[in-house]
Amino acid sequence: MGQNGNRKRAMKILLIEDDAEMAAYLANGLREHGHVVDPVANGRDGLFLAAGERYDLMIVDRMLPDLDGLGIVKTVRGAGVKTPVLFLTTMGGIDDRVEGLEAGGDDYLVKPFAFAELLARVNALARRPPLNAVETVLRVANLEMDLLKRTATRAGQRVDLQPQEFKLLEYLMRHAGRVVTRTMLLENVWEFHFDPQTNVVETHISRLRSKIDRGFDTELIHTVRGSGYCLRAPD
Amino acid sequence: VRRIRLLRSTSFRLAALYAGLFGASVLVLIAMIYWIASDALRQQLTAAVDGEVATLTEYYRADGPDRAAEAIRRRLASGLRSTTVYLLQDARGMKLGGNLPATKPVIGWVELPARAGDDDEADAAERDGHRLLAHGVALPDGGFLLVGEDAFHLVETQEAILRAFGWGFGGTILLAVIGGALLSVGFLRRIDAINRTARAIIDGKLGDRVPVRGTNDELDQLALNFNEMLDRMQALMESLRQVSSDIAHDLRSPLSRLRQRLEGTRARARTVEDYAAAVDRAIAETDAILSTFAALLRIAQIEAGTRRTTFSAVDLTDVFQRVADAYTAVAEDRGQMLKATIARGLMVRGDRELLVQMLANLIENAIRHTPAGTIIALDLEATPDGIVGSVSDNGPGIPADARAKVFQRFYRLEASRTAPGNGLGLALVAAVADLHRIRIELGDNQPGLRVALHFSTGSDA
Repeated sequence: MGQNGNRKRAMKILLIEDDAEMAAYLANGLREHGHVVDPVANGRDGLFLAAGERYDLMIVDRMLPDLDGLGIVKTVRGAGVKTPVLFLTTMGGIDDRVEGLEAGGDDYLVKPFAFAELLARVNALARRPPLNAVETVLRVANLEMDLLKRTATRAGQRVDLQPQEFKLLEYLMRHAGRVVTRTMLLENVWEFHFDPQTNVVETHISRLRSKIDRGFDTELIHTVRGSGYCLRAPD
Repeated sequence: VRRIRLLRSTSFRLAALYAGLFGASVLVLIAMIYWIASDALRQQLTAAVDGEVATLTEYYRADGPDRAAEAIRRRLASGLRSTTVYLLQDARGMKLGGNLPATKPVIGWVELPARAGDDDEADAAERDGHRLLAHGVALPDGGFLLVGEDAFHLVETQEAILRAFGWGFGGTILLAVIGGALLSVGFLRRIDAINRTARAIIDGKLGDRVPVRGTNDELDQLALNFNEMLDRMQALMESLRQVSSDIAHDLRSPLSRLRQRLEGTRARARTVEDYAAAVDRAIAETDAILSTFAALLRIAQIEAGTRRTTFSAVDLTDVFQRVADAYTAVAEDRGQMLKATIARGLMVRGDRELLVQMLANLIENAIRHTPAGTIIALDLEATPDGIVGSVSDNGPGIPADARAKVFQRFYRLEASRTAPGNGLGLALVAAVADLHRIRIELGDNQPGLRVALHFSTGSDA
């Protein structure tokens, strides 16, 4: 993760988690990656801070001793706070995710999870400079993608992509410079909310690589061991 | 205890309430009849008395006291007016005629006790205790005339009305009480049956059900719904029990294996690399265990059926297309071929996420359990009997006797024991299909396996 950690700006993160061990693990991990973390152990304090302070991101446990995580986010959203929210839950519940997203959550992570997964999602949720509203072309180094014409070029050469490959590349380019995990790709590119028993992601990444990286000196798609993938321009 | 319960029962209280209301209305009705009848009779009486007073006063004034006394005597003698009494006195209080003893003049309407033994005995006895309604008037020369009429008709009528009321009221209350009691006993017996069943279930006899009469009345419907609720809960408990025992049996062996590996590492590992490799392997095994665990919970959740409440319209064509797109390359990399033939514009009601997973599991099953060179066909078509989707391959297939078992949790064919996988893929397919009321048919593709999904045409699936 060090490969791309140096370039990111520090975020101020509110962590609402009642399990002390989990909270310490997450807070330490996030701090190691240069973020500022305010951990609180209950919903009341969380709500107080969320409403009063400015944060770049909130990480909220769904199950809290007093206020439900859903309730906190609904309240905060009702008050007009637009801070991105990442829900954590031990409920592997398939309805819970929908509920969480409907309440105003931006992403949803089921415990147990690898820290790399959390970090990737935190980075993906980080407030980006607002995309140009009429942005129709994505660009990373000499790789270009025209969203209207549905075409991609590398160094001016046309790259032929299957629809799934196009979606995959678009997601990678929109998150350029950040690590995206296998799970994030499954959820966002294929709408798979389960762990497939075959290597769907690897297969498509490998095909995409052969189309945009083969024959060029610099690779754009990088495998981040233990985490996922990252599309980024060479240093 | 039984009697007290009867009195407390809802139907009995209702019956008592109706009896009370009905009794009150009977009371009002009788009171009105009593009042109207009494009034009419009284008016009749006073009119008769006043007629006599007027006639006799006229005699008295026109023809003198003697003529009036004579008229009274004749009236009494005729026997036509046996219930009428007369008294005519002069100014000094001397009785001139009539069948009443001389008295102090009282002007206006008076009630007098009926006298006994004046005329004939039987009549007097009958009238005993009755009252006379009399009108006394002063005559022009200071005389006094009193005409009275026995009021026993009036009293008797009133008594008859009261008696009728008594019988009617008593009868009404009695019928209401008996009817209410009978109704309550019937109701209580059936409520008792429901209570007994609930008790039995609380005491652990989970298979007990409320008897149903087949009359399809409200209590029958209650019993049917109650039984259905119990069936549902029993199924849920069964599924929970199943998950618990699955976890107990099937997570134990991978956990033991993990423990052995860790013990082995501790005993034998020498270098940091050895340890790193062992930790990586342990993480991978833990992930596999967690994924099995998650799959089990997911199946249990799907089987609980609560997701049906969030069903919406799903573009089935799109679901099939997406899954085909996701796996075409995967199959190619394994030297297989995925051929998709998908009809346009087919919609069903359901849970998109689960339908995607069901189809993905079926295709992965085909990809993973067939050799290179296999052709896998994914089809979706609208037939006269409804929408049919299918995944077929020309691989080794499943023996007919094993087909029913492949949807059980952790069931794995001998041939695939060594392949990676948790044995839950098809169990999840079965759970999702059941939730959507999709009929799954396993057929022989000659050679190979054909799994057909018959989507329900019902509006509720």
